[in-house]
Formats: sequence, C-alpha cells, structure tokens
Amino acid sequence: MRARVFVTLKPSVFDPQGRTIAEALHSLGYASVADVRQGKYFELDLATTEPAKAKQLAAEVADKVLANPVIESYRIEVGEAEPATPGGQS
Amino acid sequence: MKFGVVVFPGSNCDEDALHAARDVFGQDADYIWHKDADLKGADVVVLPGGFAHGDYLRTGAMARFSPIMASVRAHAERGGPVIGICNGFQILLEAGLLPGAMLRNRGLKYRCEHVYVRVEQIDTPFTCAAKRGDVLRIPIGHGEGNYYAPADTLERIMKNRQIVLRYTDPKGRLDDEWNPNGSVNAIAGICSEARNVLGLMPHPERACEALLGGEDGRTIFESMIEWFRSAEAGALQPVRSASV
Repeated sequence: MRARVFVTLKPSVFDPQGRTIAEALHSLGYASVADVRQGKYFELDLATTEPAKAKQLAAEVADKVLANPVIESYRIEVGEAEPATPGGQS
Repeated sequence: MKFGVVVFPGSNCDEDALHAARDVFGQDADYIWHKDADLKGADVVVLPGGFAHGDYLRTGAMARFSPIMASVRAHAERGGPVIGICNGFQILLEAGLLPGAMLRNRGLKYRCEHVYVRVEQIDTPFTCAAKRGDVLRIPIGHGEGNYYAPADTLERIMKNRQIVLRYTDPKGRLDDEWNPNGSVNAIAGICSEARNVLGLMPHPERACEALLGGEDGRTIFESMIEWFRSAEAGALQPVRSASV
C-alpha cells in the first residue's frame, strides 16, 4: 500500500517561508490568496495490504522521523500504490 | 583535559573546534567519527557546526541517528559536558537532549556576521569563567537559528534558568534590532536542566584569536578548562567518558 504523509508547521508556529510566498502572490495580483503555509510531502511504499496497518506504520514513522513534534503536525492518507501525479497535471 | 570533536559527514567546523582546543588552549583533543561508539576518554564532547548528513529532512534530524549519539547521550546523562555549536545545537534539539526546535531565520536569509551575546548564567561548565552580564562578540553563520519553544516549555526553561546566552546590542541591552534570526526571547544558547549540555548558535571556536577578528569566544573554552581544573581539584566530581 501507499501512505502519503503531509507534514506542516503547527498553526501556532510562524512560517516565514509560507509568509514570503503569500507576499509574492499578492505582488502578482492574487489578492484572494489570504495565506500560504508551506510543508513537506512524503510517499511511503509499504509492504502491507491492510489500510489500518499501513496507517499505523506511517504514523509511527512520522512521529519518530518525518515530523518534529515540537513544531510540526502531520496528516496521513492511505491508498493503493500508484505512481505519483506528475507535476502540473490533474 | 580532553576534548572529543564528533565528525559527521557534512560537519565543517570540526577542524576549527579541534584547532581551538589543541592549538590555542593546549588541551588534548581528538576527532570522533560519527559511526564509532567510543568517545575516546573525552571529558567534553563537542558537536561542531556544519551540515551533518546534508541537513536532509530538517537540520540535525538525521545526525540524531548516528551511532555515536547513543554514547553522547550516555555521557550527558552521567553529567559529562556536551557542547553543540550551531549545527551541533540543532542536533541536540532533534535528539531531545535540549528542549525546543529551530525554525528558518525570521528574515529567511543565511546570516553570516558578528553578533553580540550576553552571558545570562554563569553556573555552567561553559560560562563559569565569565561574569553575569558579560557581552561577547562572536560570529554566527546559519539559516536556521530561529529558536522556538512552545509557551509551557519556554516558561520551564526560564524558571530553571536554562537561557545561557541572549542576543543583545553591543552594550548588552535587549533590542529586537540586534536579534539576527528572530529567536524567541532573543535566545542564542540554552543549557539542559542539569546544566551540563549547552547548545549555542554563535561559534566561539571561530573567535579565539585576534588574527581571526576577535577573542571573545575564549571565555567559553576557558570556562570548560577552568571547570575541569576545579573538578580535578576536588570541588566537583569530574565525569570522563568511558573508553571502550
């Protein structure tokens, strides 16, 4: 199975990179982009077919390595293994 | 006394640290490869600056898993001094040997310049030769030195007097203009609750010779040497790393 892990700074933590990107978008005229938060995305290929196990394993890995719990939180999606969506296409 | 300088792939201030300890202060000093487990009898363990493991994922995040870190942790738990400079500080945070975390600098720029830090606490092995309130001019060079800790953690480290160095103006006054990275409470260095582990963003090893633009970093090295001298004189119990 494939697990997708999205790591972002906690809402209480200031994100200077996201802020800078938001300001750049504003200067390009995208006034409706209220804010931007930058994060990290991981795809884990897991040798299991059980979604519950995949999620548990991904959470364990996120807690131990992928995220720093002091400043970051994460969200996990579990699904069939498939190639990542190429950039810029839907 | 003996300094042990841990070398990770990507460390780049290891030679500076060894040079300061050995050549400037005439102490015994040796490199320790990150894949080893033996601290070679070091009294003080130095985690030097650089980009350990390329700083992949997060600064210091991969270095925490280097084999030597188990020995460093054991040394710290026995009360042995550990000093993490810049990337070494980031590693100590990721390893949980110090509280908090590092964020990207407030201005997003890599800052490479001299800064002023005020000595807040002198009952540590790293500042015992200083006077409280001393202002040291020491260089920094980092992109992620914006120290952060959640409110409850911050309250705890303040209550335990763990803030050892703060960014100030040249006269030792707190001023946000002189905080180079946006660190909360202008924190430039903190120690552990037991006071034997110090993490700091400024590089004292780069400020030990007038030829290099300043000597204020000597205070940190002189403190460690002085601390061990008093320990050996019987005032304190010295903690040596076990040689395997």
